[in-house]
Amino acid sequence: MSQKPASAIIEIDRVSQVFQTSSRRDHLALSDISLTIDEGAFVSILGPSGCGKSTLLYIVGGFVSPTSGVAKIKGQAITGPGPDRGPVFQEFALFPWKTVLGNVMYGPRQQGVRAAAAEAQSRALIEMVGLKGYENFYPKELSGGMKQRVALARTLAYHPEVLLMDEPFGALDAHTRTRLQNDLLNIWERDRKTVLFVTHSVDEAVFLSDKVVMMSKSPGRIRQLIDIDLPRPRRRNELLLDPRYQKHVVDIERMFDESDEGGSAS
Amino acid sequence: MISPAALIRRAAPVLACIGLLAAWQAGSLALKNDSFPTAIEAIRAIPDILGDKESLINILASLRRMAIGFGVAVLVSIPLGLLMGRSRAVAAFFNPLLMVIYPVPKAALMPIIMLWLGVGDITKTLVIFLGVSLPVIYHSFEGAKAVEEKMLWSGAAMGLSPVQRLMRIVLPAALPEILTGCRTGLVLALITMITSEMIARQSGAGNILFNALDMGQYDTVFAMIIIVGAMGICLDAIFERVRARLVRWSEPQFDMPLSFS
Ligand SMILES: Nc1ncnc2c1ncn2[C@@H]1O[C@H](COP(=O)(O)OP(=O)(O)O)[C@@H](O)[C@H]1O
Ligand SMILES: [Mg+2]
Repeated sequence: MSQKPASAIIEIDRVSQVFQTSSRRDHLALSDISLTIDEGAFVSILGPSGCGKSTLLYIVGGFVSPTSGVAKIKGQAITGPGPDRGPVFQEFALFPWKTVLGNVMYGPRQQGVRAAAAEAQSRALIEMVGLKGYENFYPKELSGGMKQRVALARTLAYHPEVLLMDEPFGALDAHTRTRLQNDLLNIWERDRKTVLFVTHSVDEAVFLSDKVVMMSKSPGRIRQLIDIDLPRPRRRNELLLDPRYQKHVVDIERMFDESDEGGSAS
Repeated sequence: MISPAALIRRAAPVLACIGLLAAWQAGSLALKNDSFPTAIEAIRAIPDILGDKESLINILASLRRMAIGFGVAVLVSIPLGLLMGRSRAVAAFFNPLLMVIYPVPKAALMPIIMLWLGVGDITKTLVIFLGVSLPVIYHSFEGAKAVEEKMLWSGAAMGLSPVQRLMRIVLPAALPEILTGCRTGLVLALITMITSEMIARQSGAGNILFNALDMGQYDTVFAMIIIVGAMGICLDAIFERVRARLVRWSEPQFDMPLSFS
């Protein structure tokens, strides 16, 4: 693991989120969440559907402002979206009227990078995510896995300090999903950006992360923080045979099972 | 070589026109009615109209009013529709107004507008403007409403301001729907153009048509119907070309291999 003393890049301080439901009742989606994320860490938020994972990520992204509490990046309160935090959504959210190259160049161009430089950087990124040769394709001509690769390249292109990934591989088939997990790890191991990664897959969280934040539902709370002290670089075929990996997966799954029973009994 | 199926598809519109004219010819010969000239008589009258300087000036005046009415309507309606689609407050303000105007035939407003603004170009252009506006506003509104929020968030994270997001994300994302509205608007522009000239008879293609009707020159009446119809078909075909180019990225393309990954 990293030798540098870890410094916090994101601090979430007693954040709660209340939503008005259609029946006009208040729904407590997040209750009193406090969490610190170290610079360069790969942190996964893991929990059942509806426990508020996306909402928490959107608050860090500045897309949603919390009902109470505060989220900070580098000590500054987050008041809105900004290029220091780059989202990658499950729905890809590519610009369909732009080609692959046009999508990836969009952020750098917006930031004032000259066209020639932006294009050169973007072509390199497209190659890095394995899409060389597809620069002039439109999103509708790509498979789901390819779209998510473009979305990742588009976000990396404007150099956010933190990547915010909301179940980015959730809509993909198992095979494509595994390949993208491997590729994401390879890319991440090069520059070690801070990643906040939402998932409901235990395997995915353990395979990718330095730290797993386990959440529980109704209201959304943090249940437990688990350090995943597996060596890096991680290789899938080695890891699957590693007893430490297996123990993490089994432990986490058992904790979720217990909470399910608790939930149905009450 | 073109396959037989493709040949039939290409020839179909021409065949349909010939069929229609043949049915007209046969119907007219069977009825033997003065007010229903044969297709051939009507077609023969077309060169007379198009060769007459007066008539040409009238038709060009119609087209000019139509172009201005359509153009201004599109320029006003697209931003308005997009704003309504993205802002509840704007939608809440304009929706009731539009609901009142929507079911009123725009030509029915003409006598009032004529009282205020006279029978000239302004009145007719205004009626065309009203006719075109509603479908363009409606489709722009629907298109803007359907824009995926995550797409706007992605833009916001890149640093786009709200105005930039409207112009550079909502507008292109909604473009296919907006152009559908414009296409409807174009046809409505032609219709309101003729009706406006029917009510305020002073100049224009509609004026030629209804004057000929008054004077019992039925071949001219039907020739004008053919001319107006042909104008509609041409305008629509040109528009469709432009539209298809602009939204190539959104149309399904079946000849594209999709399984690379
Ligand atoms: N905009 C919203 N309005 C009302 N309720 C919402 C909204 N967004 C999320 N919720 C509710 O908050 C809870 C948490 O949602 P979400 O963060 O999407 O969960 P997760 O991503 O873990 O599946 C869910 O019960 C959801 O229905
Ligand atoms: Mg979610």
